[in-house]
Amino acid sequence: MTMKCNRKFVTVASPFFAILIGLTFGAAVMIAVGTNPFSAYRQMFSKSFFDIYYLGQTLVKSAPIMLSGVAAAIAWRAGYINLGMQGQMCVGGLCATLVALFFPVKSWWVTILCFCVGMTAGAIWALIPTYLDYKFDVSIIICTLMMNYATNFLTDYFVSAPIKDTAGDGLAMQSPQIAEALRFYRFSPKNAMNTSVFLSIAVVILIAIFLKKSKFGYESKMTGLNREFARYGGIKSTKIMFMTMALSGALCGFAACIEIFGARYRYVNAMFTSTSYSWTGLMAMLIADYNPIMTMVYSIFLAGLAIGGQALQRSVGLPMQISDIIQCSITLFVSIKLLFNFQKLKINKKPNHLERDEEVEHE
Amino acid sequence: MNSLYFAAIINSTFRYATPVLFAALGSLLCSRGNVFNVALEGQMLAAAFAAIVINFYTKNMVLSILAAICAGLLVSSVVALFQIKLKAHDMVVGTTINLFIQSATAFLMQIVFGSRGMVQGHGMVSLTKIDLNFLSWSPFLYRAFENLSILDYASYIIAIIVYFYLFKTVRGFHLRSVGIRYNAAKSLGINSQKMQMNVVLISGILCGLGGVSLCMGGVTVFVENMTAGRGFIAMGASSMAQAHPIMAIFSSLFFGATISLSKTLQKVINSYFTETFPYICTILAITIYGAISKAKKKK
Repeated sequence: MTMKCNRKFVTVASPFFAILIGLTFGAAVMIAVGTNPFSAYRQMFSKSFFDIYYLGQTLVKSAPIMLSGVAAAIAWRAGYINLGMQGQMCVGGLCATLVALFFPVKSWWVTILCFCVGMTAGAIWALIPTYLDYKFDVSIIICTLMMNYATNFLTDYFVSAPIKDTAGDGLAMQSPQIAEALRFYRFSPKNAMNTSVFLSIAVVILIAIFLKKSKFGYESKMTGLNREFARYGGIKSTKIMFMTMALSGALCGFAACIEIFGARYRYVNAMFTSTSYSWTGLMAMLIADYNPIMTMVYSIFLAGLAIGGQALQRSVGLPMQISDIIQCSITLFVSIKLLFNFQKLKINKKPNHLERDEEVEHE
Repeated sequence: MNSLYFAAIINSTFRYATPVLFAALGSLLCSRGNVFNVALEGQMLAAAFAAIVINFYTKNMVLSILAAICAGLLVSSVVALFQIKLKAHDMVVGTTINLFIQSATAFLMQIVFGSRGMVQGHGMVSLTKIDLNFLSWSPFLYRAFENLSILDYASYIIAIIVYFYLFKTVRGFHLRSVGIRYNAAKSLGINSQKMQMNVVLISGILCGLGGVSLCMGGVTVFVENMTAGRGFIAMGASSMAQAHPIMAIFSSLFFGATISLSKTLQKVINSYFTETFPYICTILAITIYGAISKAKKKK
């Protein structure tokens, strides 16, 4: 029992310590460049979490982050390292925008159609490297990353010429706006907050339940823990592999649609590269140790950090990359936590094996 | 005229291949020691940035190269510490460090140069170029080997050195045995962990050289996130070469050629399409390589 408590303590407390260390590291960087860290942090967090305008922005920004983070977690926990979330988001977002722009009917149900198209596109984009891995042993890691770079250029091409918005000065590389009927409901024109955030949170919770309760969730987790053993236990690993990656890609497409139909209303040049939603999501899910609900929590935190960083750049002139630096150092320190667990398991190897297996189940 | 144009493509192939070759050598050494080093990209980017900063203040080529090597070493020592000493997950460490370096260089660029996106000019020096005057009898050959920097030539020499290290020295033999059976090597008195940490540090030095040749090889310039996936292309090159240094020369030249072609074809085809060329070629190449090696296995 004590061990159970210990393990719980480690999984909850160590990200907390890592966040503290990460913030301290950020403070050291701020001191090095001559900024007062206390006032900077106060400004950052008071704006991004306690100012209604910025809080809206934080939540809207966190929606695609948490979705892509959960998408990454689904793939990683099954042992398939999907790094192509960015490319899958680009493709999903672009396809959904194309449907929204050119589908003759403009009604609320078209939004659902657009989401379906976006998710399908994202899933297909994730299945290409999966198929190559299955058929030719191509590394999913390298392949998904290379596809990110290629996809960014291909999708940016569309807003550079074929569907470029010619209204206005025509300098901005972006598509025209989608029809108003297709957008998510926004509570106030002054605040970015809209209903898409609630949809995202609901989807994350549904996925968390799905992964915990369904056969697929169990099988994909077993595949991630030990692929050979899972196969030995009668799990069709090929099917799990394709399903996992398709689900991961579809969620990325969904994340892109949330961003477009909830916040931007158009496809903008490099909208998923410069904002680096997918990488922030990846960091969030690594801090959360693949847990969807905690991924959501950390996504909101990291989104707040990023929004605070942007506010800081405007007011103090500190480059906003400071929030990325803090975010990465948190993840680095969290990665040692894995070691901490690992050592604990080793030390406690002697007591009853069954009890430990039970625990893994309960988590 | 046409043949000279072709020579120019060959020339730029050599230049684009150099950073990939350096990183590929680092990658193959790591994979020989059974270390999955994903942070090559970050190591290169940090090195390129350090080189530019020192270049900006001192205008000295040798100091810039040294700074790049130090930066590569620094980043790789973090990798070695977390990944091997503390046994953190290799993908987590690698991806995080790549992102960290990407944002840290962008951050420092605004602090040091006060500019975003790109740094060039400021009277910064580039790498010493070697002109092969004895080739001047043939304009084609002269053009093909024109203006290559010392590091372009050094990369091939280092590839050969790596080959001798891996296959002709005792230490190289130890490294390979660590890669094949970690515990067996350990039981024979080889300090496996130290060996793996050293190999990561060496990859840091090599990526450092790769970073210098990237930012100072032609025009001296630093662009935000200028490695643009070259670390991962190098991983592809290394796996295609089956972690063999001499084969890595050829696979790196292949990727150099794809980058060079993508730059050349920009005049004819929309640049959005040509820019994707190296990445698609990487996927295609490792796919074909995988298909061939799978077919061989079946036999």
